[in-house]
Amino acid sequence: MDKVLFSYNGVKLHLVKLSILTVFQSVMIIIQAYSLAEAISSLFGGDLFRQVVNSLLLFIIALIVRQLITGWKKTIAFQFAKKTSENLLDELMQKLFQLGPRFVRGEGSGQTITLVMEGMRRFRRYLELIFIKTMNMALIPVTILLVIFYLNIRSAVILGLAVPILIAFMILLGYAAKSKADQQYESYHLLSNHFVDSLRGLETLKYLGLSKQHIDQISLVSERYRRSTMATLKLAFLSSFAMDFFTMLSIATVAVFLGMGLINGTMELFPALTILILAPEYFLPIRELGADYHATLDGKNAGKKMEEIIAKESIVQLQVRVPIWDSTSRLAIKDLNVMFPESNQEGLQNINFSIAGVKKIGIIGASGAGKSTLIDVLGGFIPPTSGEIQLGDQKITSLSVLDWQRQVSYIPQHPYIFNDTLFNNIRFYHPNANMEEVFEAVKSAGLLEVMQDLPKGLDTIIGDGGQALSGGQEQRIALARAFIGNRPIILLDEPTAHLDIETEDELKETMLRLFDKKLVFFATHRLHWMLNMDQILVLNHGHLVERGTHIQLMEQKGTYRQLVQQQMGGIS
Amino acid sequence: MNKKKWLFPYLQQNRGLFTLSILLGALTILFGASLMFTSGYLISKAATQPESILMVYVPIVGVRTFGIGRAALSYVERLIGHSLILKILSEMRIRLYKIVEPQALFIRSRFRTGDILGVLANDIDHLQDFYLKTLFPAIVSLVIYVLIIVWAGFFSVSFAISLVLFIGLLVFVGPIVSLLYMKTKNEQIKTGRNQLYQQFTETIFGISDWIFSGHYVDMIHRYERQEQKLLDLEKKKNNFLNWRDLSNQIILGAIVLFSIYTANDLKMSGEVPGTFIAAFGLVMLSLLESFLPLAGAISDTTIYQDSVNRLESIQTAEPIQDELDEGLPSRSPISIELKGVTFSYTEKRLLDSVNIQVTQGQKIAIIGRSGSGKSTVLKLIYGALVPAGGEVTINGQKAHYLESIMPKVMAVLNQKAYLFNTSVINNIRLGNPNATDEEVYQAARMVQLDEMIRKLPNGYETNMQETGQRFSGGERQRIALARVLLQNTPVVLLDEPTVGLDPITEATLLAMMFDTLKDKTIIWVTHHLIGVDKMDRILFLDNGKIVMEGTHQQLLKNEARYRQLYALDRPFS
Repeated sequence: MDKVLFSYNGVKLHLVKLSILTVFQSVMIIIQAYSLAEAISSLFGGDLFRQVVNSLLLFIIALIVRQLITGWKKTIAFQFAKKTSENLLDELMQKLFQLGPRFVRGEGSGQTITLVMEGMRRFRRYLELIFIKTMNMALIPVTILLVIFYLNIRSAVILGLAVPILIAFMILLGYAAKSKADQQYESYHLLSNHFVDSLRGLETLKYLGLSKQHIDQISLVSERYRRSTMATLKLAFLSSFAMDFFTMLSIATVAVFLGMGLINGTMELFPALTILILAPEYFLPIRELGADYHATLDGKNAGKKMEEIIAKESIVQLQVRVPIWDSTSRLAIKDLNVMFPESNQEGLQNINFSIAGVKKIGIIGASGAGKSTLIDVLGGFIPPTSGEIQLGDQKITSLSVLDWQRQVSYIPQHPYIFNDTLFNNIRFYHPNANMEEVFEAVKSAGLLEVMQDLPKGLDTIIGDGGQALSGGQEQRIALARAFIGNRPIILLDEPTAHLDIETEDELKETMLRLFDKKLVFFATHRLHWMLNMDQILVLNHGHLVERGTHIQLMEQKGTYRQLVQQQMGGIS
Repeated sequence: MNKKKWLFPYLQQNRGLFTLSILLGALTILFGASLMFTSGYLISKAATQPESILMVYVPIVGVRTFGIGRAALSYVERLIGHSLILKILSEMRIRLYKIVEPQALFIRSRFRTGDILGVLANDIDHLQDFYLKTLFPAIVSLVIYVLIIVWAGFFSVSFAISLVLFIGLLVFVGPIVSLLYMKTKNEQIKTGRNQLYQQFTETIFGISDWIFSGHYVDMIHRYERQEQKLLDLEKKKNNFLNWRDLSNQIILGAIVLFSIYTANDLKMSGEVPGTFIAAFGLVMLSLLESFLPLAGAISDTTIYQDSVNRLESIQTAEPIQDELDEGLPSRSPISIELKGVTFSYTEKRLLDSVNIQVTQGQKIAIIGRSGSGKSTVLKLIYGALVPAGGEVTINGQKAHYLESIMPKVMAVLNQKAYLFNTSVINNIRLGNPNATDEEVYQAARMVQLDEMIRKLPNGYETNMQETGQRFSGGERQRIALARVLLQNTPVVLLDEPTVGLDPITEATLLAMMFDTLKDKTIIWVTHHLIGVDKMDRILFLDNGKIVMEGTHQQLLKNEARYRQLYALDRPFS
């Protein structure tokens, strides 16, 4: 069993409960065998059926009690797994929010979802299984073996020896199968994904005129996949073969030795039968241990993965009071550094600037220059590795401050549209907004026409699975969200690059209206926005190289001008 | 029964292996039972202290044979079962592929789920479990059931009849009750799980919004409450399972007792020797255990239902006849014409009497906001869609009749070209499977990737997946461009190939495209105006109609709207 398992709350009590129940369970197994053997042997000895009714009744009772205990064990294991996984889920969710969007993007959104949804389920299954199995394995065979030892030493020795031999074989075969599987892993992986890959790329195949003849390829690969899978399975199944083989062989051997003993008269029928009935029960926990091997392995790994995330360093939200940003507010960034030790991504180095009052700040630079990173720092998603942030007269280490974040509207390249009504999507930041306010925001964001075109107006369900919207319309919903709360700070991360030029043109007017009297940080490649900015921060390889207005920067003939020329040079 | 269409024909086609697999499955159980029977008989016989060990020689051999035989049979059975399944899966894959292949170009728009094809591929894998864990064990159980009855019939007819009823409880009644109960429970759990899944997906994708909204803690609590509700459902289900297992065990115990009683009766009347009492008891204990997993297996069928339904729902597309596809030599000049073309997916008209003429070598840009039908025009030209009114012709022949030769006439470069999980060289060579290595290198040189590819760990043989991190968006598009170059068609359709790229990469890629495709007809759908000055003609689509048309200079001169847009896109040029 894994050491981590012992770190969970209440695990000791759980183990104690389980072990007591398991001992009872073993006793029931023994009574069951004992009473059945007694009934049969006395019937064999010529007793009448009614003379053995008591024994048979005992057999049935033992059987029922045993089953009740099994069910009881499952129930408490489920309870324990439930409680543990709920605690873990809570920690994990808190952590995910602390780690923020950058972590999720890095891990892959899909992967994170699978990890939490599937992983949590697997982990719970693992917790349900592992304690019961281990307990059964630890207690039941030993108890049974003791009884058999008491009844007949020779049988006990045979059964006792069988287990280590069996386990040794299993380990040996397990290794062989694993190394074989490892050898083939690459080709195996390639083959098993070939079909999905073919279907996903079907459109491309069609355009290339290869889609028809690709059928042959699919059947060829399927056949190769089958052969290579079978080759691996031949080995993999050997371990359960070994398990069966040794179990059956030991039972058969015990039976034969018992038979000999009976013939020699050194043994009675009753103990012999008891042993024979107990022998399969003796092997049962060992066989079950291997049964859900993959389920438990997956669960264990999922648990490990989740613990790793929880153990990750993250920003702790600072409890600082921040006054509402207005024309007198000041933000100063001093010697700010952001480093990403895990990836090759460049961070930010020695950033210094200060902003006073409501200004529109453009952030520009080639891709990879650190624009998004700066926006993430401003949004409080990533903590600076070093440096200082001065907000008003307070010095803080990061902008992960509830009071700050509540003043921020964030408009990314692809704003997320929740699968809910248009109404609720718009008032997402301010769930208490009323109809009037939402309608006002709809008008300001230029959504009126869109709303009227939707089948149920504001009550239309949008988002994944609902009414589909174009990129421009989604962007307008993000704008409406920003309009509704009238939050004084707006962060924009490349909101228009993927839109067609006409849509961008239409949005521009709305956006400029939204920016009015607000502090705006606008990271983009699209140069026309720079004309509307009060100040431009030019980033280059993580350094803040220039700052000023468009006109000033053009005159400086530095990085900014170079960037403009590069982009406007057109295509020769 | 619709579901037969995907599940059962395959068993018929593989009758031999299927029968063998069932036979081996039954034999495995019988050998296990025989082991217990023989050993019960053996020790009872031995207890009579026969004169010589030879009296029990046969059972001794029997015990060993059955023991080892069972293990061996079970091994062979599993191998054969899996081999059969893999064969069936392979047939299913080919069938699915054949169904979706003709619809390749519009299947995505028909199903709104992003990755419907990936889902279908997984569905087929799920069916594997249906065969191995439900269907085969169920059939094997039936066989065993019948054999037990027949066997009991040899001793006593009334014994046999009683067993029909008793074991029937395990084989029919239990599983059916379980199925009925679990069907609704599984349904509830699935609905709950889907809701939870959706909620969590929204949390992750909207994580920044949740943080800025300031109320993510409420969200966590709501999520946890819902998870708790789901777990309560699971708990109820588990309780049911516990009771089910208990009643199964009671039935099992009762049958064992009944068999012992019958054996004793038979012994009394002298029909069987006393040695059979133990044998009867033990054999029942072993046999009945094989019925226990049945209830679970049967009630799990509800889990596979979705996969089967989804596969069912994929319809075969009506084949578009390619009647007239001779007489269009791909090397000849190609002229494309759209005459009064209308088209719509829904009631709203997407294209309304659109007229476009393109002669060989012309370069056309199509501009318009999203949803204006730009990509639809490309699909119509390619013949993937049939116009509702008017006609699309290639050298005078209707485009949608030319499906089979189209790849020789036109190449397509999409927003995100698909790169297959194979080596770099194979990916490029897809453009022309007969290309020599040198031709592939040449194409890579033209898109300026040759040097970079050679620096990869395995050069051109490096697998694409491993390079996923290494190739940027622009480089991936360049690989796709190399593929198009190898395809070497007179016409190339470009469908917003630079979306998502930064301006400098965009400019480089466009320059590369225009340079390498200079002799070809280009029809280019674009969202930005960079590079449009290199086109012979620019078309503006709005509300299904062409609202502006002309060269860059003409539009700049005559159209105020165009001037405004151009100023926005190219502010300082």
